[in-house]
Amino acid sequence: MDSIFTLPHLIETAASKSPDREAFRCLDKSISYVELHQKSDKLASFLKNIGIQKGERIGIYMNRCIETALAVYGVLKSGAAYVPLDPFAPISTTLSVISDCNIEYLITNTSQKRKISQLLESPIMLKAIIGDIEELPVTTVSWNTIFGCSLENYKPTNILEQDLAFILYTSGSTGVPKGIMHTHYSALSLAKIVANTYDFNSEDIFGNPAPLHFDPSTFGYFVAPLVGATTVIVPDAHLKMPSSLSALISKEKITVWYSVPLMLIQLLVSNTLQKHDFSSLRWVLFAGEVFITKHLRALMQLWPQARFSNLYGPAELILCTFYNIETPPLTDDPIPIGTVWNNTEYKILGEYNTEVSTGTTGELIVRSATLMTGYWNNKTLTDQAFFRVKVADGYDHIFYRTGDLAKEDEQGQLLFLGRNDRQIKLRGYRVELDEVELTFLRHEEVEEVAVIVLGKDKEAQELVVAIKTKTGQKIDAQQLLEFCKSSLPIYAIPKIVEFMDDFPRTSSGKISRKEIGALLHKKIL
Amino acid sequence: MKEKIIAYIKNDIANESFETIGLREDLLGSGVIDSMGMMKLLTFIEKEAGFTISSEDMTVENFMTLENIMGYISRRTSAGTNEA
Repeated sequence: MDSIFTLPHLIETAASKSPDREAFRCLDKSISYVELHQKSDKLASFLKNIGIQKGERIGIYMNRCIETALAVYGVLKSGAAYVPLDPFAPISTTLSVISDCNIEYLITNTSQKRKISQLLESPIMLKAIIGDIEELPVTTVSWNTIFGCSLENYKPTNILEQDLAFILYTSGSTGVPKGIMHTHYSALSLAKIVANTYDFNSEDIFGNPAPLHFDPSTFGYFVAPLVGATTVIVPDAHLKMPSSLSALISKEKITVWYSVPLMLIQLLVSNTLQKHDFSSLRWVLFAGEVFITKHLRALMQLWPQARFSNLYGPAELILCTFYNIETPPLTDDPIPIGTVWNNTEYKILGEYNTEVSTGTTGELIVRSATLMTGYWNNKTLTDQAFFRVKVADGYDHIFYRTGDLAKEDEQGQLLFLGRNDRQIKLRGYRVELDEVELTFLRHEEVEEVAVIVLGKDKEAQELVVAIKTKTGQKIDAQQLLEFCKSSLPIYAIPKIVEFMDDFPRTSSGKISRKEIGALLHKKIL
Repeated sequence: MKEKIIAYIKNDIANESFETIGLREDLLGSGVIDSMGMMKLLTFIEKEAGFTISSEDMTVENFMTLENIMGYISRRTSAGTNEA
C-alpha cells in the first residue's frame, strides 16, 4: 500500500511508479513526474538554505504557466505553506494579503514584472523574488540558479499531515480578505475522496482552467497526481477566447474537465463545439455556481459520450457533495447538488439552530475531512464559521456553516436554494433573490441574469434585474416582466430592468452581483 | 495602425498604467487587458480596419500578442484587396 500522508508524497509516489509520465503540460512546455520531483526538491532545498521555516508563508504570484506546479511542490516540500496571489487582482488587494500573512518571498514569472514593480513601491518587506525576472530593486533568484543547486546535503523536511499546506484568500463579503487555511490532511483527503468517487486513472488527462487561488485547482494539482494522470494547465488567453479553448480541449485530448459552468456556457454559445472532436472527454465536472439547466441540457446533447457531475462546496471545504447527471434533464428545474460523499456528513439547521425535518429549507452545515483549520489570523471569523455539536464534555463535532440554504427532496438529494443572505425582506415580504433569477432564466431569450436590491435606505429599496440576452439585443422589458408574473408574487417582480452586454465577473468567473450593484447604483439612483 | 492600437490599449482599456507593450507580450496573460477590454479592442479594430471579426477568428493565434494582431489585420486587409 502506498504511504501517502502529505502532498509531496503524491509526486514522490508518481515519480517512482511512472517517472516518465507527463505530470503537467502547458502549451509546448511539459514536465514529467520524475523531473517535477527532482526540480521541486531543488526548490525546497534552496528555500531551506535561505532559512525558510516550517509553516512560513510563501507567495505564488503567477499567471497560468507550467512553473506553477514546481512552485507548489517546492514550497510544500520545504515545509512552508504556499499562498496563491491572484495576478489579476488590484495591487491594493495583493498588498493586503501579503501583509496579512507576512509573505517575505514571492515566486513569480516574467509577465508579472509590472505588477511586482508596483508592489515594491509600497513599504512591504519582500526579501527575494524567485523566477526568471530581472532588473527589480530587490534580490531575484532565477530558476537556473535553483536547478543548479546540489542536493548532496539536502535533508527533506519532516512534514506531518496536520501541517499547514496553503492559504486561499477570498474576498469576504465585508471586503476584508479571508485566508482559508488548508492542511496536507484536508487537501489530501479531498484528493482521496474524489479518486474514490470517480473512476479516474493514470490514462486520464485533466483540463485545469482554474487559477491557483481558486479551490478547483486542487483537482489539477492534487487529484491528478494521486491517480498518476496528466494535468493540462489551460493558459489565460485561451480562457478568454472560446474558439481557442474548444480547439485546445480537443487537441490535448482532455478526458476530465472541471470548471465553473460559465466557461462551458461560453463554449456552448460560441458555436465552436461542432467543429472539433471531443470523443476523448469522459467526465465533465462543474461547481461554483448553478449551471442553468437549459444550457446544461444543450451541452449534454452535444457531448453524449461524456458523463456529467454537479459538485458543490465552499472553499472552506473545497467540495462536499456531488450529483451525477446521467441523461439530459427533461425539465428546466435546477440540478440537485446531490449527496455528501465519503468522510463527510451534514445537517440542515432552521431557526434557533435546530435541525429541520426532511423537505424543509434551512442552512446547510457540513463536517468533513476536507474542512479547513480556520481563517488565518482571524479567530473571531473562525469561531463564527464553525458550529460545534457537543458530544460529551470537552468533545465537540465541528461543522462548517456554509451560509447556503438547502433542503432534502423525497429522493434524499440535496437541493441548493441560494445564499442565506440572498433571502431578503422587501417591504415586509420575504423574497428569495435566487428564485427570482431562476424565473427570468426560464424565458427563452435570457442567457444570464442577476437580481439585486438597490436603494438609498431600507425604506426605498427596489428590486433591479440585469439581463444578458442570447442575441445581445434588448428585448421588450414589459413582456419579460409579464412572463415572470405567471410564477412570482407581485412583490417579487423587479421594478427596473437593465440590459447589459456582459456582466462584470469575479476572477473565478462568477457573476459579480456586487459590481453590477455598484454600476447600476450610479446609473439609476 | 500599430501605434493607434497601442494608444487605444494604453488610454482606454489597460487595467494599469505602463510605458511600453512588448510586441510578443501575452496581452491577456500579463493582465494588460481583461476579457471586457478584449471585446472593446475587437470593436476598435473592426472600426479602424473596416472589417468585421467573426467569432471563429477570435483566437489566441490572432489576438494573443500585438504581433498576432498586426499579422491578422494584414492578412485580412490583403485578402480583401485580392478579392477586389
